Amino acid sequence: MMEELNTKLTNKSGFHMDPRTKIFILIILSFMVFNDAPLYISGILILIPFTSLFLSNHKKMATSYILLYLIATYLKIYVNPSLTGPSSMISASFTYTITRMLPVIIMGTYTVITTKVSEFVASMEEINVPKYIIIPLSVIFRYLPTIYEEIKSIRNAMRMRGIGLNFKTLKTPLKLVEFYMIPILISAVKTSDELSAASLTRGLSNPQRRTHLEIVNFSKTDAIFIIFAILGVVMYAYYFIGDILLV
Amino acid sequence: MFKIDNLSFSYNTNEKELKNNVENINLKIKKGEVVLLCGESGCGKTTTTRCLNGLIPYFFNGQRTGEAYLNGKKISEMPIYKLAENIGSVFQDPKTQFFNVDTTSEIIFGCENLSMPENELKKRLKTVVDEFKLYNLLDKSIFKISGGEKQKIACASVNAVYPDAFILDEPSSNLDSESSWNLRDILQKWKADGKTVVIAEHKLFFLEDVLDRVIFFKNGKIESEWNIDEFKKINHRKLGLRQLNLNNLKVYHNDYYSKNQEFFELKNFTFKYDKSPILDIKHVQIPKNEIIAIIGKNGAGKSTFAHCLCGLERSCKGELILDNKVLKRKERLKKSYMVMQDVNHQLFAESVIDEVLLSMDDENEELAEDILKNLNLIHLRDVHPMALSGGEKQRVAIASAIASKKEILVFDEPTSGLDLKNMMDVSKNLIYLQKLGITSFIITHDYELILETCTHIIHFDNGLIIDNYKIDEEKLKKFFIK
Repeated sequence: MMEELNTKLTNKSGFHMDPRTKIFILIILSFMVFNDAPLYISGILILIPFTSLFLSNHKKMATSYILLYLIATYLKIYVNPSLTGPSSMISASFTYTITRMLPVIIMGTYTVITTKVSEFVASMEEINVPKYIIIPLSVIFRYLPTIYEEIKSIRNAMRMRGIGLNFKTLKTPLKLVEFYMIPILISAVKTSDELSAASLTRGLSNPQRRTHLEIVNFSKTDAIFIIFAILGVVMYAYYFIGDILLV
Repeated sequence: MFKIDNLSFSYNTNEKELKNNVENINLKIKKGEVVLLCGESGCGKTTTTRCLNGLIPYFFNGQRTGEAYLNGKKISEMPIYKLAENIGSVFQDPKTQFFNVDTTSEIIFGCENLSMPENELKKRLKTVVDEFKLYNLLDKSIFKISGGEKQKIACASVNAVYPDAFILDEPSSNLDSESSWNLRDILQKWKADGKTVVIAEHKLFFLEDVLDRVIFFKNGKIESEWNIDEFKKINHRKLGLRQLNLNNLKVYHNDYYSKNQEFFELKNFTFKYDKSPILDIKHVQIPKNEIIAIIGKNGAGKSTFAHCLCGLERSCKGELILDNKVLKRKERLKKSYMVMQDVNHQLFAESVIDEVLLSMDDENEELAEDILKNLNLIHLRDVHPMALSGGEKQRVAIASAIASKKEILVFDEPTSGLDLKNMMDVSKNLIYLQKLGITSFIITHDYELILETCTHIIHFDNGLIIDNYKIDEEKLKKFFIK
């Protein structure tokens, strides 16, 4: 048993990316929302979330992401131009949402599901981010899965009351938003209150530097991903503003 | 170890009337003592624990006079991170006391905050994992483990700092009976190690062998104090306390409520998650218009069964046969209703009366007021549901179920963390529902509630119904009492 524990502690097997790298890539990917580039330019950036997910054993999500992206790109290039009227509206909004937003969303999902709160805190402290920024951010990390569970339970409650996608409720759609928001806000306040109290009794406010069980440092993986991300963004930028620079 | 000297405290509230939440508390707790703080909800026991672990005055603001001391030093003048080295606190809701999402980081979180060197962290993690036998719980997401396991991790993680004292505020509220007994084992270990333990709690049954002393609070004051032998002899019911020894309890309703007993049948209730079955019921008969307790360990399939019964799981194709009619999932969704453990999730309207009207097909204000009257809610008619107390919220949820003419009600842990008085209120409401012709299912770990109210028991284990019987004290004892 003891040996098993030892190996569990020391052996960080498999693919692992530093939280700082993840956030850096997330920021770079969000540039993609601004504009559209052909596939040979944006390809590198699009493949980064896919590779990260695939290597960290979320193969199903990675594959469905890349398939959805390819379908949307196909529609955008070959189908959209020939459509007219409402169908072109629907198709266009679908394809543009997917091609521009999906890579960022997927990278964000990857960041949240593969980063431990402790690891995130450790890496942020390493680059001297002040505590008053780190702690709220880490609480967000901690709270996201809770929101998912809460939404599920609120939806169940609505179904039992006959509220939801039916005629009576859809007459006042804003009500529906309110029905979701109020319980979530109430529980968010309660959770944050109790969480703060609990963390205080465990010494979170200690002004001395925290120590860490998890040692975070950049690895080769991080270097490779950062190089590709920078390469991608340079190509991307060059594609749009290169002409201007040359003049 | 602890000394409280003439302490009074009131939280800052908007209300004009200034009422002290605790008043003139004088208390001495010796090193190595295990002390229980008990009394009705709102009697001041939680406030007292907060004075001891420094959350008052550090986190909760209010008017304070008097002083609490730790080893002769004023608690209010010590920084709270210094207190964290000496006092470990465990709270009621295991969901909201974890800072991390994975168990391993959580265990060592307190030590990291106190800036212990890395090899010390590793050493402590190993010791704690060994002492609490946590090998199977390492590196798990806290969202994937049961309430009992969460509370075990919480205890282990405060233990990792090696404090001299532990303060627990209603730690067993969300635990099943087996996990409560496990918590007793942890308390016993701390006692054997010579630690001081202060525990505020409603459920008492698992504490009999651990306690040294009992402090009884009433309306913010210390009313009485007993050592454990004296405490065993007093009448707990009279003081509004839960039972210390469950063997003293008797079944209250020995026979079914309804005279001419009808049954409904459940057929083919199966549910799979990730291809492994977590619910498998071929055929079962259940008495109609009774109060039925659903018991079983955490993860035995009780909640899944409740979700399937209410028609919330699409992939469960089971049938319910009621009065010779076969009810499929969609019809069950119309006829049944679940009162959730977190009632906040199911109240939507802006006032209590609107909440009831929202459930009616044709809004009938007279009828709605009638329902509110019967549930003792009429004085709260125009109050926002979120401003109510827990028990009142639960009654509003029940009112809306009655208004929408539901025939089957499922209660998910309706009495977790409730004192005797509030539990009796829940019991009264359940009996009122029975008189209206409603069949209630109660998922519960509360032995007292079952004996007080229920007439039929369904026992789950591993997704199967392993027993289905009219209430029987001996059988119940086997499951609940260790």
